[in-house]
Amino acid sequence: MTDLTPGIDPIRLEVIRNALVAASEEMSITIWRTSRSTVVREILDFSTAVFDAQGNNIAQSARIPVHLNSMSDCLRTILDRFIPLEEWQDGDVIVTNDPYSGGQHLSDIQTFRPVFVDGRRVAIVGTLCHHVDVGGGAAGSFFAAATEVFQEGIRIPPLRLAEKGVLNRGVFEMLLHNVRQPDETRGDLNAQIAALGIGERAVARMARKYGAEALTAAMAAILDGSEKMMRAGLAALPDGEASFVELVDDDGQSDKPIRLEVKITKKGEAITLDFAGSSPQVSGPVNNTPAMTCSAVYYALLAALGGDIPANSGCYRPVTVKLPEGSIVNASFPAPVAGRMVVNHRIAIAVFGALAEIAPTRIPAAYYAISYVYALQTRTPQGKGRVYFDIEVGGWGGHAGGDGASALSCGLHNNTNAPIEMVEAKYPVTFMRYGLIPDSGGAGEFRGGLGLVREWRLDADMGTLSAHFERFRFPPHGVHGGGPGSLSSMTVTHPDGSRTALRSKISGIPLKQGDVVTVATSGGGGFGDPAKRDPARIAHDLAEGLVTPEQAARLYGAAAGTEKAA
Amino acid sequence: MEPDIRIAVDIGGTFTDIEILDANSGAIHQIKTPSTPADPSIGLLTGIKQASERFGFPLEAVQYLLHGTTIATNAVLERKLPLGAVVTTAGFEDVMQIGRHGRSDVYAITLAQPQPLVARRLCFGVTERVNAAGEIAVPLDEEGVRRVATELAEAGVKSVAICLLHAYANPAHEQRVGAILAELLPDAAITLASDISPEIREYERMSTTALNAMLVPIVQRYTDRLAGRLKDELPEAQVYLVQSNGGVSGLAKAGREPARLLLSGPSGGAAAAKRLAAELGEANLVAVDMGGTSFDISVVHEGEVAMVNEGEVDGLPVRLPMIEMRTIGAGGGSIAWVDEGGRLRIGPHSAGADPGPACYGKGGTQFTVTDANLVLGRLDGESFMGGAMPLDREAARKAAEPIAAKLGLSVDQVAAGVIDVANSALATATRLSLFEKGMDPEDFALLSFGGAGGVHACEVADELGIRRVVFPAHASTLSAWGILWSDIAHDLSATQIGLLDAMAPALAETGKRLVAEARTLLAEDGVPEAAQRFEWALDLRYAGQAFDLRVPLEGADFSASGVAKATAAFHALHRQRFSYDEPSVPVEVVALRLKAVGGLAKPVPAHSEATEAGHSAQQRPVHGRSGFVPTPVLAREAVSASKPVAGPAIVEEAYTSIYLPAGWTILTHASGALIADRLASH
Repeated sequence: MTDLTPGIDPIRLEVIRNALVAASEEMSITIWRTSRSTVVREILDFSTAVFDAQGNNIAQSARIPVHLNSMSDCLRTILDRFIPLEEWQDGDVIVTNDPYSGGQHLSDIQTFRPVFVDGRRVAIVGTLCHHVDVGGGAAGSFFAAATEVFQEGIRIPPLRLAEKGVLNRGVFEMLLHNVRQPDETRGDLNAQIAALGIGERAVARMARKYGAEALTAAMAAILDGSEKMMRAGLAALPDGEASFVELVDDDGQSDKPIRLEVKITKKGEAITLDFAGSSPQVSGPVNNTPAMTCSAVYYALLAALGGDIPANSGCYRPVTVKLPEGSIVNASFPAPVAGRMVVNHRIAIAVFGALAEIAPTRIPAAYYAISYVYALQTRTPQGKGRVYFDIEVGGWGGHAGGDGASALSCGLHNNTNAPIEMVEAKYPVTFMRYGLIPDSGGAGEFRGGLGLVREWRLDADMGTLSAHFERFRFPPHGVHGGGPGSLSSMTVTHPDGSRTALRSKISGIPLKQGDVVTVATSGGGGFGDPAKRDPARIAHDLAEGLVTPEQAARLYGAAAGTEKAA
Repeated sequence: MEPDIRIAVDIGGTFTDIEILDANSGAIHQIKTPSTPADPSIGLLTGIKQASERFGFPLEAVQYLLHGTTIATNAVLERKLPLGAVVTTAGFEDVMQIGRHGRSDVYAITLAQPQPLVARRLCFGVTERVNAAGEIAVPLDEEGVRRVATELAEAGVKSVAICLLHAYANPAHEQRVGAILAELLPDAAITLASDISPEIREYERMSTTALNAMLVPIVQRYTDRLAGRLKDELPEAQVYLVQSNGGVSGLAKAGREPARLLLSGPSGGAAAAKRLAAELGEANLVAVDMGGTSFDISVVHEGEVAMVNEGEVDGLPVRLPMIEMRTIGAGGGSIAWVDEGGRLRIGPHSAGADPGPACYGKGGTQFTVTDANLVLGRLDGESFMGGAMPLDREAARKAAEPIAAKLGLSVDQVAAGVIDVANSALATATRLSLFEKGMDPEDFALLSFGGAGGVHACEVADELGIRRVVFPAHASTLSAWGILWSDIAHDLSATQIGLLDAMAPALAETGKRLVAEARTLLAEDGVPEAAQRFEWALDLRYAGQAFDLRVPLEGADFSASGVAKATAAFHALHRQRFSYDEPSVPVEVVALRLKAVGGLAKPVPAHSEATEAGHSAQQRPVHGRSGFVPTPVLAREAVSASKPVAGPAIVEEAYTSIYLPAGWTILTHASGALIADRLASH
């Protein structure tokens, strides 16, 4: 007989678990359908979850890993250090975006609301939205020159945005006075508040039906169940130690690479990840706090262990993470963090890299591993500012079962693209090109997926561009003899034909009418020896133009290259 | 009186279901005949001829033939499509490959690249550009179009989708490209995106257009063959095909715009739900169809079937108006198992029909939902499928034993648990599909059909707070019965983005164009003016908001007062769906929509006299909320029209059973449907 948490029968447990996931989905639907900004409405940069009264993540909507594995950290920090549970009143909405109070970067505003049943706080519901702008030194709040968090936008410490169901208008308006797109922020925040109401209602309905005791017992059992599956997954891996060093281009303010080092010790059904040897925190805004780093670690472990472990805080119990103080993975206040994803994706790459030593066939070659975030600020003739914000993706690594996927969201983020027609209908830009980049996938028995190129022209008189990119120097690595994926780049072509190569992290770069911005993302690394690649796959790549004849000849042998594309 | 016969046909993978309505007498007959997948029109004609002999009507008396077909859907699912190509604005040839680039499996460490509909080498660019305002920014390079035509010819392309950026705002370039290609490639099927889906968002439009172009040769071949056969056999019949929007259209339009047939599978069931809603006086019905592998939910709200603007076939977006359907992979064949975390899970794996549930005795050893129903006595081993397929209860119990051991429960407890978990999943899916529309299950009655649904429906209703469950007559041919009552329906739309107040005059102009197009289509279908009906709607949103809501525009009134009315209706609908509105934020229009309906006459069906029986000769032990109790078993015909039968009870019919729990009563309605009500005190 399976060990079960006492106090709940397995049938009721499953029924309640279903309903909690449904509550997260109801919140997710509410945000999606009522938000205002392109970031939320087209790119889907938001998440929702249900927590127990201690702040453990119990159930979540199928959204964005980096959010979902960090919201619990944020909530627990609020409960421990700012607003203890007994002070949460029915109808309160607690809000924060502060990275040093458990938050992510300032753009990610998190909201939480308690669920009361019979006068007891039985659960907490939460949402996280990436807001298009929260002020700071650059439009879109990606200020590459920032050296302190103060320059990155307005910091909201954990506080009550609504008290007992009444909106705190002063706080709300103060927030809106400090952002560049107040209409969108207002709409998105309202969507977050509405979603909490929906989630609260759904969880309370269930608590009334089964009783608060059963709900509490079920939540404990849900955590225990995931912990058990996680332990079983870990136990199935061979014991051992492995290390990996991953180099990140730079922090945008110097040319010095940032070193991420992880040593994994896997023993029995537990795992320890020690990041000793990683670079000290940096001046530029790519630092990670422990909540951010752990989120990447949890994501990598959940992905690597596969199966269908329900992701919740129970999964984190067999995992010990050691983070040196004042390092790039555990930065101290007030280090800037807006571009955290620059390093965050690569923490996952480092974990995958070390795991590949322990479980070689399970781990694919590296993916592009950067959220290609850029923001363009323009002004209308009436002086009204507009911010066009976009996130792009690249190629997946090749894996033991096949080629990597091309131009598809991978890893810690999960975004859809903004349709070109929607962007052009709203912002003064004209797109010139959106396509795959041939030869960008790393060579291998199983090729890396392709990166893509997105190119647009500024039609307004002038604008300023900010971006947090990566992989301009260190491409996604191949494994088992596979080659690296392509490097990323960003250039401006001026109306006179001259070109300016931009660095990977920029803010406030002035653009003039007619300037064309070209963003090229990385393809994934290759898996296995290219000489072993199936000729049928090579022929298909040639016919489809995914690999050019010249590259095919160079990487896979002359015979392949001389085959004429069908 | 001239004989007047209307026939509805629903062609499934195994059977072709036919419903025959005699418009003079109101008599309705059914017949089932094996499908003929190679050419479905053969099975269709065979069935109609059999019906004509059995029910005694001459083939010449058939005035209308309404016909649902999965020919388009199957062609896409099996990817048996002609070689297709895309012609788009130069620089955007890869839009088809990139799609929207989100993933659904969040923690996937590897995944197979979704297979694009059109190969990369067959996506061609032409130099041209229209901007978002519909202005021509770069003129069309006609020489370039001719060069593309040469390449298309060399590649042997049979279908061409033309999808240029912003052509929804100005189709001039698309039309010119279409004309040039039509001249140079006279045998190719060509579809313009601005014809089939003139709405913003390039990938969804391109996918829809490519699907349409690639389906044209397949569906046209079928409609030509069908028309040929019917000309001799059913000389008087007007023939219509069922579309995804729940209405039917003539063969010519179906051949030109076959993408409109792609998600027509649910249309029959939804049309049936709509008709039943009217017959029973239940304006709000949530219809659930549970078979062996899936559970499909559609909604009738205030007498109208809930629609959406976009769906998916095999991962490919189809952006056309269609009946909204939520599907989850839960059916009688869904397998129960215990995961490593000790959770009792159901599905997503299904035992299917072969080997099927353990109780089928065909080698299945895993415990399914059907097995659980058998163990609990809700299904009967002897009378299943009218006794044609006896079920093995011992095999079902044996299959539950490993689960019972893992969970420390008895076999009966496991079976009851499987039903509880399944019912909660069904209820959750039903609740979500109403929730998305801001609706409350308690305002709805549940309509249950499909072979596996009857034993779950009342308990699912209990979970949802629904007090009435309807079990229709014609349950085994319900789709065909629904098609019988369909009207001709054409959806037209135009994207026009801007503040509603300012756009009103332009919308009025567009409205004139749409109505002229609609009249042409209805005339093509032979609809007299008196039977033409026009339903207008605006897609509205708060300025800059994500998502638009459809608001009816009464009487195409584009005046200030008409616009004010639509605006007020939008605020109210927004409040209903999303719990807030923002009257101070300006309202933006996204699209104008016109549904042109050609009403077909609705003969009055003759209702059979309900029997006044109501007692039961049999009973058997059935597991209710707390263990087995002796429970009466009735034949469907034995359920009275006036004297309610109280639960617990089992009602059996040929292809399905109904479990009526304690606290419920059941009656036969004049229409032949059974109606179960939850007692007020329960």
